[in-house]
Amino acid sequence: MRILENKEKNKIYGLMGNINISTNNNNYRIVSFYKFNDTVKNYLNSPKASSALKMVMLNDEYLDKTISNLSTAEIKKVILAHALIENKETLILDYFEKELTNAEKEYFKRLFKRLVTDYHKTIIIFTNDLSYIWEISESIIYVDNQEVINTFSKNDMEILNCVAAPPISEFIALLKNKSIPLNDYKNTSDLLKAIYRLKEN
Amino acid sequence: MPLLINNKTIPDINTTILYTSEYNYTLDTIEYINKNFSVIDKTNRYQITDINEDILKLFNCEYLKTKTNLTLIDTIKINILSNLEASNIIIFLNVLTYLDLSFKKELITYLKDHHIRIINYTTDIEESLLLEYIIVIHDNKVIMEGKKEDILSEEKILKKLGFNLPFIVDLSLGLKYYNLVNEIYFDNESLVQKLWN
Repeated sequence: MRILENKEKNKIYGLMGNINISTNNNNYRIVSFYKFNDTVKNYLNSPKASSALKMVMLNDEYLDKTISNLSTAEIKKVILAHALIENKETLILDYFEKELTNAEKEYFKRLFKRLVTDYHKTIIIFTNDLSYIWEISESIIYVDNQEVINTFSKNDMEILNCVAAPPISEFIALLKNKSIPLNDYKNTSDLLKAIYRLKEN
Repeated sequence: MPLLINNKTIPDINTTILYTSEYNYTLDTIEYINKNFSVIDKTNRYQITDINEDILKLFNCEYLKTKTNLTLIDTIKINILSNLEASNIIIFLNVLTYLDLSFKKELITYLKDHHIRIINYTTDIEESLLLEYIIVIHDNKVIMEGKKEDILSEEKILKKLGFNLPFIVDLSLGLKYYNLVNEIYFDNESLVQKLWN
């Protein structure tokens, strides 16, 4: 399955579907959880280790830690730091946002945007959480049974027919079922204003 | 004998353990003497043949019987469904976040109906709406604990720890500010009912 076939480089893409991610392409790096051996310093093995750790919200105190001293989220961050040092053309993040708090998720969204604009990377975010990728993705690729089923532009609400709806879309769907005229909104403040206008009228 | 996690007694109520990302929950020691409990993680340790046919049908997972290349989501479902009949208590180590909301709700309903106690470790605050009690952990310390309604009202503390409020709570607070409702709601149906009854 060629997920990036005919896709522009230097963009962020969302990837959704019940699949396993793998690649033979040497220009790609999949960032997924695994247990590396040795200390963080030896695993990163680079003069850029310190700055790479900083980019993933960790500091030099982590250099001497081993995997047993790290949480699952910290292991994933170190693996991302390793991928940043490798400097491959395309990064594929495999459920990277799981284990992160909302504030960290927002930080990493900003980092991914920077990697695209300042470092000319292509980023693929594989997740089951549409709300995480909706705003930052150029488009969202939906795959099933090892086939690309469809590619949705970020404003195409048809994607909700394929993947689990975020909480805001579930709420709007409930209102629509009651024939309350509402558009599809992606953030709470826009929805709030729309409800206020409806109730005022 | 109560359930103990790291020697802390966990109340006898379905509980979300909401932790910040530096917490290494894999080191937690869990004790529940003379009772059966299951810990569900992401490792591939059960077979589809371990699952009762009726359970597979109930959760629409019969497709797993013929699937060869199992994904992480498939593995998590097999781990969960293999343990539904074996335990008095099921402890989920941040696995529900990989499943879609309809499966999660069906699962929680099944467990509650069968009086199986639930402990759910998660960083996903939306999941805290599923269970009745919340323990918040940061920097290896319990920051606060209590009923869902009380903990999710502590917006400042949660935000300081990096958590947003669940969507429906956030929306209720906004509507309350506009005087459209006068309390916080924890489920879609109740809020819609209040707004357009």
